[in-house]
Amino acid sequence: MIRTPAAFLTDGEVRRVHEASLEILEQVGLLVRNARAREIFARHGGQVEAGGENVRLPRAVVERYRAGIPPKFTFRARDPELDRTVPDDAPVVISGSSAPDMVDPATGIARRALAADIARIARLVDQLPNYDIFSVSTLADDAPPAFFSVTRLYAALKYCRKPVRISGPPEELDSILKLAHIIAGGERAYMERPFITHHYCPCVSPLTMDYDSTATLIYYAERGLPGHPTLVPNAGLTSPLTLAGTLVQGNAEFLAAVVLEQMVRPGKATIYSSLPTVADMRTGAYAPGAIETGMLFMGVAQMARFYGVPCGGYIGLSNAKVNDAQSGFETGMSGVAALLSGNHLFNMAGLLDALMSFDFAKAVIDDEIVAMLRRLQRGLELSEESFALDVIREVGPGGMFADHLHTLERMRTTGFLPEIADRDPRQGWIEKGGLDAQGRAMLRVRDILTRDAPSLFSPDVDARLRREFTGMVAAEFAPPEGWSRPPDEALSDRAERRRRRLAQQAEA
Amino acid sequence: MSSDLAALPLEELLEQIQDNLYGGNVEPVVAGVHELLRRGLTPYDALTQGLIAGMDVVGEDFRTGKLFVPQVLMAAKAMKGGMEVLRPLLAETGAPRIGTLVIGTVKGDIHDIGKNLVGMMMEGAGFQVVNLGINTDVEKFLHAVREHAADILGMSALLTTTMPYMRVVIQALKESGLREKLIVLVGGAPLNADFAKSIGADAYCRDAAKAVETAKRLMAEKNGTPRA
Repeated sequence: MIRTPAAFLTDGEVRRVHEASLEILEQVGLLVRNARAREIFARHGGQVEAGGENVRLPRAVVERYRAGIPPKFTFRARDPELDRTVPDDAPVVISGSSAPDMVDPATGIARRALAADIARIARLVDQLPNYDIFSVSTLADDAPPAFFSVTRLYAALKYCRKPVRISGPPEELDSILKLAHIIAGGERAYMERPFITHHYCPCVSPLTMDYDSTATLIYYAERGLPGHPTLVPNAGLTSPLTLAGTLVQGNAEFLAAVVLEQMVRPGKATIYSSLPTVADMRTGAYAPGAIETGMLFMGVAQMARFYGVPCGGYIGLSNAKVNDAQSGFETGMSGVAALLSGNHLFNMAGLLDALMSFDFAKAVIDDEIVAMLRRLQRGLELSEESFALDVIREVGPGGMFADHLHTLERMRTTGFLPEIADRDPRQGWIEKGGLDAQGRAMLRVRDILTRDAPSLFSPDVDARLRREFTGMVAAEFAPPEGWSRPPDEALSDRAERRRRRLAQQAEA
Repeated sequence: MSSDLAALPLEELLEQIQDNLYGGNVEPVVAGVHELLRRGLTPYDALTQGLIAGMDVVGEDFRTGKLFVPQVLMAAKAMKGGMEVLRPLLAETGAPRIGTLVIGTVKGDIHDIGKNLVGMMMEGAGFQVVNLGINTDVEKFLHAVREHAADILGMSALLTTTMPYMRVVIQALKESGLREKLIVLVGGAPLNADFAKSIGADAYCRDAAKAVETAKRLMAEKNGTPRA
């Protein structure tokens, strides 16, 4: 484990960031577009500009409400075994969400994502061992506007057992709940185990709360359903072009959003979730893959620790369009910075081109990057026993460790054994087809997507959903067009070896 | 200052205006434009030989990465200052219209940074820009298009839930008989060219520079004076 999180700020500086955020909320205030939010702020001590939309939050009000945030947040699944809690289970990994496009697995060309893609992605996330939560990774271009989120949720919950996170427009909030109730077998059953976590971005930087996402926050908080905001300041465009200024403004926006949550429902759990970026001022390009995002996450983690709130966000994104070196180093570097600094929730995986497109191979590669982060989290695991002084004494100078029982017992656990990273000698690598990480990841994708994926809905529930939401796209899982189980023996051997290895690990 | 300007040969005066545009210095650009007019240049010549020639260099250096976004925005502000002097005179003298852009973020959406960048860069290209802000509904768009006799309508959305509203606006333009004379440009992160085509827009612009380039091209076609 990481005993001392990596930190840029002293305790005094953390306090100063907090003070500066309070100063912003008290003196500059926020533009609150949503009228109900203004009413709620006003009723609880916020100062709403007469006839206007500006809301100032006195420091005492902010301090009172933020103190009520609980220290943990749980993502629930239908099966309690798959529940995940931050910070206890950190790093908790959630797939990247809501990309409009999809890199077509057959052609390699980006196109609009469809409901059928979500069914495949749901299955992939279900099967990849390092993802804890499925945030519905793409939109569905073929979904009718009235059932936009319902179509996405249907496919997600039909093929992924893990907790599901989604955001939806105000017009669909009732439908989303209805779908949840049908799947759970009634409202009461759902309220006991709400397996959908809601997500909203109520703050549009700088210092503005919007209409719709703010309405969503209020809706779910009122009903006691799990949800959390994400804050996304973009230095140079929507926040000052300094990392400190962006940290402070983003922190003020976080406080505004969670204070509203607490005003609606005292004691509501939440997450300090963020995606702070620095714009590339050469063109204004959005650059979530930049190292500054990883650095800002280090600051965010310090602030979250100060508040006693679990934290994380969209960590490990990339601007790369394909699975090249850039996509790896951007995801990896920010991931390491965020992990070492004590972030809990890693909303990463599967997205290329700055959240614009989902890529199956990227999801598989990221699964492995996450496995490496989990290994990093375990640390050096120092103990008298792990020094292995007895073994060193026994083997002695010039001896051999490889054939020792001590080594045998640890050969699968001490070092993370990658599936995607290649460690063959060059000639061996050539003999196996000379594939790069993208090529090896696609083999894994093919392996998962050409197996049968059982529906998690009973026929009765499925029929009721289709009746209730006539017109939604009820996606069925099918392998990508032209894909079938490959006859290639090497691949089946490899898949079979993996299956046996996983079974072995499960036994151990 | 004006006496210094008065002493400059025309070539040097034009160069100085262009340097000041490049540097984003509003007052000197405005003073320079006044001086050009004092010397009897037509407003159209002052515009093309002074301001537009200067902004072409800015655009070129932005495209090649020499200038950064804040520098281009400063230059656009200086351009806007010069245009404010020239615009009424251009109208009086019947010079070819650069064009008027009505722009807004569509209903339900309050993301406006990209849209504002487009507005500022369009001002930098000499367009008159009417920025309707955020959460703009059909009535507001239609009213502004009529009131300002707009040549171009720009719509922006960041949310996939709000971008379909662009289709609603275009439909309303058609029903009001406004669509035919209007150039409709759309932009925003989740959009693409196919979407623009499917809703009946004239073009999708992936960024502010593209928006300016497209607006100039379509405006020239509209005026029947294709640019080289």
